[in-house]
Amino acid sequence: MSTAAATTAADVAVKAVYKQLDCLLQAIHDLQAAGFTDFQVMSPFPRHEIEDLMYKGEPSPIRWMTLAGGITGGTMIFTLASLTHANWPMIIPGGKPLISIPPFLVITFEGTILWASMMTLFGLLIHCGLPATNLHPAIEDPRFTNDCFGIVFTSTGGQTAKILHILEHSGAIEVSNG
Amino acid sequence: MSDKLTYSQVNRDVMRPLFNATSLWWGFMAIVGLGLAYGAVCWGIQLVWGLGVAGYHPPVFWGVYITTFVFWVGIGHAGTLISAILFLTRSRWRTGIYRAAEAMTIFAVMTAALFPAIHVGRAWQAYWLFPYPNQRQLWQNFKSPLMWDVFAISTYFTVSTVFFLIGLVPDIAAVRDNTRGWTRRLYAAMALGWRGTDRQWHHYMAAYGFFAALATPLVLSVHSVVSWDFAMANTPGWHSTIFPPYFVAGAIYSGCAMVITLMLPLTKFFKLEAYIHIWHFEHLAKLCMFTGGILTYAYGTEYFVAWYSDNPYEWGVFVDRVVGKYWWVFWIMFMCNCVLPLVWWFKKVRTSFMGLFVVSLIINVGMWFERFNIIASSLAHSFDPAAWVYYTPTYIEIGILIFSFAWFLLWFLLFVKIMPSVAIAEVKETLRPPLKSEGVAAK
Repeated sequence: MSTAAATTAADVAVKAVYKQLDCLLQAIHDLQAAGFTDFQVMSPFPRHEIEDLMYKGEPSPIRWMTLAGGITGGTMIFTLASLTHANWPMIIPGGKPLISIPPFLVITFEGTILWASMMTLFGLLIHCGLPATNLHPAIEDPRFTNDCFGIVFTSTGGQTAKILHILEHSGAIEVSNG
Repeated sequence: MSDKLTYSQVNRDVMRPLFNATSLWWGFMAIVGLGLAYGAVCWGIQLVWGLGVAGYHPPVFWGVYITTFVFWVGIGHAGTLISAILFLTRSRWRTGIYRAAEAMTIFAVMTAALFPAIHVGRAWQAYWLFPYPNQRQLWQNFKSPLMWDVFAISTYFTVSTVFFLIGLVPDIAAVRDNTRGWTRRLYAAMALGWRGTDRQWHHYMAAYGFFAALATPLVLSVHSVVSWDFAMANTPGWHSTIFPPYFVAGAIYSGCAMVITLMLPLTKFFKLEAYIHIWHFEHLAKLCMFTGGILTYAYGTEYFVAWYSDNPYEWGVFVDRVVGKYWWVFWIMFMCNCVLPLVWWFKKVRTSFMGLFVVSLIINVGMWFERFNIIASSLAHSFDPAAWVYYTPTYIEIGILIFSFAWFLLWFLLFVKIMPSVAIAEVKETLRPPLKSEGVAAK
């Protein structure tokens, strides 16, 4: 384990790297118990245990964007078909109405799905902060897309010593600051 | 997945085939290049001389192009079925295979999308299919199944592509962190700055679930809409309410067979046996056996309904398919889809490389002929005996059919050298994480 010297500098970045999942989870728990919330947990793949600790069952707001997209898309495409047929009336023999619900349902369904998907994509990009540029160097660690988990404070807000103390006793393979 | 795999080994194994093009890969590319060149010449001849160079014979104006279009749309079903429906049902066997299956879906739909343009002859006016405010205020007919088809396929393509690309982002980030120089810059741009923070994963998993839920009804609806291209017309042999489920079952049947055809050699050449076992293929084979059973039952139902309807035109078409001028098409279809794949009921066959590969090819042949059987034989044997004809494809149509396979394989070959063909993050998710409490040392 390589441990950086503790510092009391007011505002530095701190990074802890883990190989073992239970050590990471314990560290998140200990940090939260000590009142820290302003840190990021890095992992190469999703783990529900991390999500449960960090978000405590709070669902992602993307679902509202999906719903709004679906309603908008369905309404818009049904309106498009209706206005189109009103503007260019094709009277088909057999007494079928100009604006007819059953055949329009097919494209209404397609429009609903398309817009719901596009809004989900938009929501994902907004909420994940993508595309992301100029990230903090502590986050840009190639181990976090390979075989390591991590905890990163991009700013310690003057509590560096306390944070380092917790992280150094958490089973991390590396703790660094600065 | 093997229990002995480690996270870093997953990265190494999946990224190993990337970038380094082997002579085998170049060999495949050369064959693809020949196919593309021959097909491009054929299409060029058709663009210059018009649709007269195809074997169309009034009233048969739907032939090889529409057959091939429906064939490729059908192939495009398995990927999203595996990636979306099996994701929602939490089927563990999807993990190793879904990435390549999804890529196959997109390339299949890209191939199918060429055919409306090829089929209309004047390919440069294919944009007339889309509703746009043109000068003469002429609008599309939204009550036509052909318009539904435009919307169904473009929606399916868009949603499947987004689903595929979103799934790729964390893996592209992993590739980015393993490369240098200009490739690193390229992958960094494609990874959109993904780092795997808790916030990113939280929203990502929610969005991924929504994409899966949205793609699921599309899997079932696309081929239903394609089937209405036929079923909404009153042509004998087409005008049937059984078409949507019958087409969807056929599409999944052919799609899963194509996944087997492509992924068996891929697994072998890229040495991915630790990720894609024979039991993955066995599951696919079982899915084929199930959908193949539905298909055979649907064939039987079609004949029963045609006979029971007491409609001479309907029954005439169905008898003509078996013993008439297109008898050979029917019997290739029947043998390849209903009889020969029955050998998969023997476990020994469906768990052997050759048994899987050969039967999957047979199913692909059978499913192409199924669409030809439906399309050509109905049009060639319609209501008026004076209009009965015998349509056969010309070398131009065969050339464009070859072009479609070359075009599809071109994208797939590029994909396997540029993108990770196994989902890195999802494979890691299925592995048992190292735990200090279990005394698993950090490696």
